[in-house]
Amino acid sequence: MPVSNMMWVEKYRPLKIADLVNQKEVVGSLTSLLKNVTEIPHLLFSGSAGVGKTTLAVCIAREILGEGWKDYTLELNASDERGINMVRERVKKFSKFAGLDTDIPFKIIILDEADEMTADAQTALRRIIEDTSKHCRFILIANNISKIIEPIQSRCAVFKFTRISEKEVIAHLKEIAKKEKIKADEDGLKAIFDYSEGDMRHAINIMQAAASLGSITEESVKGAAGLTKTKDVDEVLKLSLAGKIVDARNKMIELIKVYGMSESDFLKYINEAIYRSKVENLVEISEAIAKYDYRILSGANPEIQLSALLAELSKFGK
Amino acid sequence: MMWSEKHRPQKISDMVGNEEARNSFVDWLVKWKKGAKPILLVGPPGIGKTTLAWITAKEFGYDIVGLNASDVRNKTNIEDILTPLLGNTTLLGKSLIFIDEVDGIHGRSDFGGVEALLKILKEPTIPIILAANSDQSDKMKAIKKTTKTIYLKPVPPRLLRLYLEKVLRDEGEKLSPGSIIKVITESRGDIRSMLNLTQAQVTGFDAPTDKSFETLDVEPAVNAFFKAKSKEEARIVLYSLRIDPREKINAFYSSIITSSLPSKDLAKMLDVLSEADVLYGKIMRTQEWRLLRYLDNILLKLHGENLQVQFSQYNLPWPLLNKIRWDGKVIKSLASVLAKKFHVSQSAIATFYFPYILFCMKNKKLALEINPEYNEILEKEMALLK
Ligand SMILES: Nc1ncnc2c1ncn2[C@@H]1O[C@H](COP(=O)(O)OP(=O)(O)OP(=O)(O)O)[C@@H](O)[C@H]1O
Ligand SMILES: Nc1ncnc2c1ncn2[C@@H]1O[C@H](COP(=O)(O)OP(=O)(O)O)[C@@H](O)[C@H]1O
Ligand SMILES: [Mg+2]
Ligand SMILES: [Mg+2]
Repeated sequence: MPVSNMMWVEKYRPLKIADLVNQKEVVGSLTSLLKNVTEIPHLLFSGSAGVGKTTLAVCIAREILGEGWKDYTLELNASDERGINMVRERVKKFSKFAGLDTDIPFKIIILDEADEMTADAQTALRRIIEDTSKHCRFILIANNISKIIEPIQSRCAVFKFTRISEKEVIAHLKEIAKKEKIKADEDGLKAIFDYSEGDMRHAINIMQAAASLGSITEESVKGAAGLTKTKDVDEVLKLSLAGKIVDARNKMIELIKVYGMSESDFLKYINEAIYRSKVENLVEISEAIAKYDYRILSGANPEIQLSALLAELSKFGK
Repeated sequence: MMWSEKHRPQKISDMVGNEEARNSFVDWLVKWKKGAKPILLVGPPGIGKTTLAWITAKEFGYDIVGLNASDVRNKTNIEDILTPLLGNTTLLGKSLIFIDEVDGIHGRSDFGGVEALLKILKEPTIPIILAANSDQSDKMKAIKKTTKTIYLKPVPPRLLRLYLEKVLRDEGEKLSPGSIIKVITESRGDIRSMLNLTQAQVTGFDAPTDKSFETLDVEPAVNAFFKAKSKEEARIVLYSLRIDPREKINAFYSSIITSSLPSKDLAKMLDVLSEADVLYGKIMRTQEWRLLRYLDNILLKLHGENLQVQFSQYNLPWPLLNKIRWDGKVIKSLASVLAKKFHVSQSAIATFYFPYILFCMKNKKLALEINPEYNEILEKEMALLK
């Protein structure tokens, strides 16, 4: 079995636009755009995690380019390579090479998590988008559209994805359970939804983990939920607030340097953890985080900055 | 541009010091014939070993194929890169092999490198040059048996002075006689270090007085900084710590992090370091090196009453350092494989996929069909799962 089929999230990733759960509006307008392929603009998808943005982008590539879509599609994740070199070397090279002797209308460049790109990189990209539009289409994907610079937004048609409703998540989970011949009771499915909050990726991952314990019940879901490394970020926050800065820092460095969590994701998760933890001084804490986030963005050393952040958080403990 | 690069000699006659050694090296290359022993240049840093090898090869029309400490030098690499050169020598024109920093071949990550090299050294069909700082380790002793060794010595002060004056003339810069003497004594016969010190002296920092200029090593400097009785004293110590600004910030960072300070003090000091680091980032981005003079002003804020800070080179406990070095490397490589398959970032793999994959594997409901090189780490991480 190929690796990608072992994880249900991947095995059940919709292959056709029509198979996407929810996102009726986006799907509706894209389907009509696709009727006249050559007129398609560059696209910018925004929305929270696990709602089908990447899936839809890949479906579009497959639908426009057909069987050999992979040969004419460049898929990059800006969270892995966020700097200007990624744009200059990978995007530019791919967009340049002609090789359009077949009957495909253009090549497609999917830039996932584009909001992680540095400002320099986005600026470089803006030029490329313009210069290559004869034979390239861009699909940019972002969680936070406000981090995409205006000139890029203005070059794309923007589509906002919504979170998936409880009813639809549960229906989708049931379908997968049936195909995998797994028993799933209502309480278990409801629990999965509560943990995953409309993030289909997370929901499916929890279900597969719970299923590895037998069947889907409230009990097994409880055993499987909370495995994600965001739990470890919660722990880092707790240690900082308790004034255990060194321990907090060791744990954070382990997450980043051993497991490969990106610094900007770390900041995102610790921010979420703070909102969940209902501490007082929420405003001041958010300001502190914003301060260090900004410093990292402006080119400072992330390790020193994040350590300083953890130390500053210790002031807000009781 | 760094002076030590800008003034790298272009001809053998541009070089200073170690004249005898240079001559016998040139002699060796000129008289070289098949089967002649390889040569090993041994000497302290910054006296021209690398330079000598490159320019001599160039002057006598050789193509250099080189491996240095930045290359992986394990068995396969050495064989793949070097063995082809030893075979049909006439076809390939005139080549020679130059293994720089040969004493830096690493036991673990360059596994089998020394043995592979020894085999090549024993049957040289083209000239082979090796360079090293020291010939004392066991592995160097084994290598030395197969080579002719030439020792290079620190360059004497008289020659250093002549050379320094020439460089200053070329640069149109001046240094007081007192500073020249200090630079020369400080550099202990290392030309590279002399040029670096001089460049630091004439640019970037503006010395308060010539007298206070004295270079300190990192460890005593950091300790002296925190023991200093007054801000003024601390400032002089800071000033005399003339190392790369990044290293300077890091030295304070490591020392502070590991000194078990009360969390309030720690927070205050990390805030200062964060500020210093931001300045450094800005300098790197804008290349406005003149801003560097403010770095010490910021770092000076680290000085305070009765702070028990001791120098430390490392800022993480050993087990974690090792985990980063070994496990981290494998996990990241695995994450990059999985990221492509799952259409997400490596960070998302780390956060949302890896733990679930391990959990399902642990419950024997999933078997990852993946390169067996990852089995060990998967087992290890499964065992860590709560
Ligand atoms: N003999 C010399 N004459 C003139 N300049 C020199 C000489 N030796 C070193 N330098 C200066 O120092 C720089 C570094 O020299 P080189 O790389 O040859 O040192 P090395 O002996 O190989 O040191 P290491 O042992 O650290 O590798 C040169 O670019 C040059 O500026
Ligand atoms: N709208 C959806 N319909 C069906 N499955 C979905 C949907 N959204 C997400 N999924 C599931 O979650 C996984 C991740 O979705 P993806 O498109 O990568 O999310 P993102 O919006 O973060 O890019 C998919 O492989 C699929 O299994
Ligand atoms: Mg995505
Ligand atoms: Mg050298």
